[in-house]
Amino acid sequence: MSLKPDNLIAPEVHHCSKCGACLHVCPVYLQKMEEGVSPRAKVQLTRHYAEKNLVTSSHLNSLVNHCLMCGNCTAACPSGVQHQSLFMRMRSYMATDHGEGWHLKALYHFLSHEQQLRLVSRFARLGRNHMLEQVPREFKIGKIPAKRLPKFNKQPFREQAVEKIAPEIQSRGTILYFTGCGTNYLYEQVGHALCHILKIMGFQVEIPRSQVCCGLPMFIHGNMEKAAANIKTNIKLFNRKDIVAVVTDCATCGSALHKEYGIVLEELGLATGEAEELGSKVRDIGEFILANFSLLEPHMDPCATRQKVTYHMPCHLRNGQGVTTEIEALLKRLPHVDYTRAADYDHCCGGGGTFFYDHPETSHQIVSRKIKNAIATGADTWITGCPGCSINLSGNLQESDNITVEHILLLIEQGLNKQG
Amino acid sequence: MNTLIKKEFNSIVGDSRFRDRLEDLLSYSYDAFTVESVPDLVLLPVSTAEISAILKVASEHQIPVTARGAGSSICGAPVPVNGGIVLSMTMMNRILETNTPDRYCIVQPGVINGDLQAELAKSAFFYPPDPGSMAFSTIGGNLAQNAGGPRCLKYGVTSDYVLGMEVVLASGDVIRFGSRNVKDVTGYRLSGLFCGSEGTLGVVTEITLKVVPLPEAYRTVLAVFNDLDDSAATVSDIIGAGILPAALELLDKVLINTVEDANNIGLPREAEGLLLIEVDGSEEQVEKELALIVEKVLSNNAVDIQQARTAEERDNLWQARRSLYPSMARLKPNCIVEDATVPTSKVPEMIRGIRAIIDKYKLLCGIAAHAGDGNMHPLIACDLRDHDEMERVEKAIEEIFELAMANNGTLSGEHGIGIAKRKYLSMAIDKPTLKFMHTLKQAVDPHGILNPGKAI
Repeated sequence: MSLKPDNLIAPEVHHCSKCGACLHVCPVYLQKMEEGVSPRAKVQLTRHYAEKNLVTSSHLNSLVNHCLMCGNCTAACPSGVQHQSLFMRMRSYMATDHGEGWHLKALYHFLSHEQQLRLVSRFARLGRNHMLEQVPREFKIGKIPAKRLPKFNKQPFREQAVEKIAPEIQSRGTILYFTGCGTNYLYEQVGHALCHILKIMGFQVEIPRSQVCCGLPMFIHGNMEKAAANIKTNIKLFNRKDIVAVVTDCATCGSALHKEYGIVLEELGLATGEAEELGSKVRDIGEFILANFSLLEPHMDPCATRQKVTYHMPCHLRNGQGVTTEIEALLKRLPHVDYTRAADYDHCCGGGGTFFYDHPETSHQIVSRKIKNAIATGADTWITGCPGCSINLSGNLQESDNITVEHILLLIEQGLNKQG
Repeated sequence: MNTLIKKEFNSIVGDSRFRDRLEDLLSYSYDAFTVESVPDLVLLPVSTAEISAILKVASEHQIPVTARGAGSSICGAPVPVNGGIVLSMTMMNRILETNTPDRYCIVQPGVINGDLQAELAKSAFFYPPDPGSMAFSTIGGNLAQNAGGPRCLKYGVTSDYVLGMEVVLASGDVIRFGSRNVKDVTGYRLSGLFCGSEGTLGVVTEITLKVVPLPEAYRTVLAVFNDLDDSAATVSDIIGAGILPAALELLDKVLINTVEDANNIGLPREAEGLLLIEVDGSEEQVEKELALIVEKVLSNNAVDIQQARTAEERDNLWQARRSLYPSMARLKPNCIVEDATVPTSKVPEMIRGIRAIIDKYKLLCGIAAHAGDGNMHPLIACDLRDHDEMERVEKAIEEIFELAMANNGTLSGEHGIGIAKRKYLSMAIDKPTLKFMHTLKQAVDPHGILNPGKAI
């Protein structure tokens, strides 16, 4: 179960016609306006590395990793180059040749050991929630001030929630809920809202207790072997025949479960059948609610306080799950929402997993433009469906910005009938 | 290039816009053509003054300088075949002024064509040249190649829209010609000389462009024919009736089938040719023209016809044309697109001739054409690593050019010469004419430092 070196000299390298169609969709290129960080250059550099015209170096490492893994390039590529697979492989080679940062090593370790992740989250909670007053005010992670990071849940969400939540009325079937680390450790209220909403829509919600991190933070950095154990655990728990759907409230986890599990297993030379079966059942929660809106509509309060709302589309929703127009359509159907589209609502937020930490300047420039355009809509609520985007958008707001980043589930919950 | 000279360049742009490491240089060794060459240095200037200073030093040491936009050329125009410096213009990407009442705009060369369109659309104006790369190619690059596109049939190509320019010469001297005036016959019309010169005469640093109002309405017709002569007769009947469409796109049988294989949009696989016809103008005018076009299409034995009035219907009809490159490009690792051009009436003969050449060399090729101006686009799917196949591709391309010339055609309608077509130049340009071009070049760039090995 390891990568073969000749995997790298893969068809996709030679399929790149160097046309340039990936340039204007790449958030990093548009910020830097320099070919070296463009998807096209990364493909060509990978080819030169494979053909041994180029050896690994810290500079090559930095160019190849100057990437949000948002998938815009793949979506725009006329030749069908699968950039993500290629970059995962290249990152894996760079890591072997050049080593990984301490933060990535720590990340892989904890994300692949759920018990330890729980433990470390408790310490982190103490650090974040109680000791923050004592750290210098200017302390930042990347460009995000520590005080603007979300607080940790007192207890992981999966330990707070019951494993099976019965529907309010007769059951329309069972939904498996993949909570993701974001909701489990940071955004418990999103998890509770999801259970509440599906319950009143008539579904039984099950939250498999032994689910683990989706593995995406590991495999996009090239550590596919470590991710494989997580992938197998989750496939076993979630690939069930007796269910209506597997839902996620995190665009990133959703793209992993929907599409990328199969890609990673294939890279490792393992069977992909079960991953594909699971993938076909995975639905983003917003997409799922829209498709079943008639079940929710009677529970919406026509007199709920109106809110001015704008939206940020996570890249992993569009490129990873093919969810393009659905969330805006859902927002427009909510009776308490006045929706205004921001000029660059579908541009990447610049967070990109650890990108905001690894490349703080580029990330900050990308997110600053988004913030300006979101504020220009006059909205007071900025909806998105991904904890990663939420942390980055919210973290980069100024105290004086009159806009709050929120998950769509919380917005929906605020519009429900009070007795519902 | 020695360290002392590099230091001189570094002192002009500073560390942050100076690149001399192999990892960076490789990223400027290519465009979308097959040949690559690694430069010695990449500089990312942000002003005319910096470019002037760079060219002074380059002239002094006789170092080649190749300006580069987005690197989306498909003829090798920005590939630094003699090494030296690549001047990346991507950071000079500001729209300096748009003045729609006076019908002009002023841009830096690194502005993306599509970004300019978006800006002009706010005032209901547009800039007509629409190369296939318009979403990512730069105005500077479009100018260097004198780019065209589908709607150039009606509106004309890049050189028809350049009112004025600022150019840095090889010596470092800065010249400005033309003006903000749509009418201007003061002095030589140098913009015509610089358009299509592929960076061999100077580095363009500012461009004044003519812009036009967006049409109020569009009508689009997709017509299918079982005989190529019928499609050609349709084209000449439409133009003969006094209608100048904004697009007249033709797909041959292979393309129809390749697009259908990839997209399953219900195109008739038996058809020999598919015509996409679009008119634009006022509501009243396009509705009248639509009726006339439908009449001409039917009288020329079309076997199927579809019409679009709404934006959504229009988008659907364009899908076949839009997806032809992606559909061909996915068949094999590489796809070479040529652009020999012939008088409009010769299009059916060209398609049949190209098909015979392709069959002779056993290649995989779909043929598209801007049928209204005779600009042929054979798309040859191939694999650069297959040397035998590439030899056959090369022979076929040469014969396609010979065929075009025999039909009173020319080598390139809109892609440019670059390195790709330079060896065929003598087919299209006689000796005294080529000598005249070299005399011009020699006069403005005596050391031949500006993009050597290209265009002429």
